[in-house]
Amino acid sequence: MGVFFALVRKQLGETRWPLVVLAASLFAMSWLTVFVTCRMERRFKKETDVAAVMRNRAFLRGMGGGSMDYSSGSIELAFWNHPFLIIAIVIWPIGRASAAIAGEIERGTIDLVLSRPISRTTYLGSQIAVMLIGLLILALALVAGNLASTIYNPVEKPPGAFQLIDPLANLIALCLCCYGFTVFVSAIDIVRWRANLFGAFVTLASYVIHVVANIPSLENVKFLDHFSIFKAYDPVGAFAEGGPKLAFNVEILLAIAAVGIVASFVAFRYRDVPSNS
Amino acid sequence: MISTERLTKRYGANHALRDLTLEVRPGEVFGLLGPNGSGKTTTIRLLLGMIKPTSGKASVAGRDCWKESLAVRERVSYLPGELRLYGHMTGYAFLKFLSDLRGGASIDRAAAIADRVLKVELTRKIRTFSTGMKQKLALSQAFADPVDILILDEPTSALDPSARDVVLDLVKAARADRQTVVFSGHVLPEVEAVADRVAIMRKGRLMHLEDMHERRSNLRLVLVRFAGLEAVPRDYPEHLELAPRDLNGEVALLEHRGSPVELFAWLADQRVVDVAIGTDDLKSLYDRFHGPNVTDDEFEDQ
Repeated sequence: MGVFFALVRKQLGETRWPLVVLAASLFAMSWLTVFVTCRMERRFKKETDVAAVMRNRAFLRGMGGGSMDYSSGSIELAFWNHPFLIIAIVIWPIGRASAAIAGEIERGTIDLVLSRPISRTTYLGSQIAVMLIGLLILALALVAGNLASTIYNPVEKPPGAFQLIDPLANLIALCLCCYGFTVFVSAIDIVRWRANLFGAFVTLASYVIHVVANIPSLENVKFLDHFSIFKAYDPVGAFAEGGPKLAFNVEILLAIAAVGIVASFVAFRYRDVPSNS
Repeated sequence: MISTERLTKRYGANHALRDLTLEVRPGEVFGLLGPNGSGKTTTIRLLLGMIKPTSGKASVAGRDCWKESLAVRERVSYLPGELRLYGHMTGYAFLKFLSDLRGGASIDRAAAIADRVLKVELTRKIRTFSTGMKQKLALSQAFADPVDILILDEPTSALDPSARDVVLDLVKAARADRQTVVFSGHVLPEVEAVADRVAIMRKGRLMHLEDMHERRSNLRLVLVRFAGLEAVPRDYPEHLELAPRDLNGEVALLEHRGSPVELFAWLADQRVVDVAIGTDDLKSLYDRFHGPNVTDDEFEDQ
């Protein structure tokens, strides 16, 4: 275990500043979601005619999908679909996945580590542990941002920390999914940029497909949503409904993650580790 | 201690290593010589289980280098040729990290070698180190590890002459401690200074294996200027163990392995103008396989 923790400590030391920056960004974004929700609720209260109320609800549905329950928590979590927030959090798993093997081979440092008596399984396991620790920190930053902002931006019905667990589980599952397919490419490649590009492209394309497939006027391309990992990402639904749908979504995302991670263990175990020259 | 049997590594049609069979004995310094692309680093990576052999097998202390790589690496310390370290760490943190990956016992020894022997500033960040300083730091850890085998891939490539001497002394000290050292390099005098045996490689093949002690004690080179072309002998008496290496007009470079008394007696009978006798160096052996006039055709059948 000493070897495992030495690897974890080293990797955390290397990535501490990117992690701090990402956590600060997510804290700020989470703060902002509550701030905007607070402002929106104040504005909605002032509008009393039916047309305005319907218009506002249509706006909220556009943000958060059909399951919108119009509570403060749902409005806040609708912003978890915003590309900025998604980019800020998936950077971490994609970055860690590409760095895990391809990145270490590219910069030539894997030679020193793997020439010591360390199994490749332990090595990759430590990389996954670091990614999970970072993910936990980022999730806590999101929750902390939300709770802290609620103090200064009172909303009608603020969600408690425990109510955020379901959407957080969905978000973490999404991140693990991104990690899964990216780390597999990292496990078979020798340069980091290709794994990064693959992870970013699949995530971005998946997001775009999800958005396009859910445009009401494009009913004929709705089937494309089945090819998007974001079909299984619904933070508002997870918050409002939780239950079986959330469990199904999380299972789908974790299954993709598991396939990617197991495949990367196998690929890394049997591959050649070339020198970087 | 280390043995390979028809060890081969192929990348597509390209042979990085071809049918390498050799044995490294316990407690010896074994030199691996050859230019870039000759298969030295491939051999080392195969021994460490970093790459899988296409065919053949390699073992260290009876353990298969690919299937039991972990057990092999418990007994081996390695200095990579292309050295890349973690720039964000201080020298000491780096030694501590590598030491922790082997149980943590060697940190004090590594720090002592780095600080007192190789004069590395351990409190500085590695990103501020020169290439030579980085190499010294990694060497400190390699020499400090409590292992049976040291594999050093071009360990002196970035070092200044005085640091090179220190490293060669450390290699000799490792041999005195009964450690086995595989020393890969290009600088022939260094390998010559420390190696017990050397393997000369060319394009993935083992071309020649030489026992350096035997070479130093037995082989001498005799440069003879005869009194004209007609004085140059066509044949040499077998009992003298004399063989021409190079002929240039009336000047002959001869290899001699026999008794010096008999050699002098034979020279006295010849029409000789001048004689110079010396020991052979590794370069002349190396040049037989990598000299400027050597072509691939000469070794095609080997």
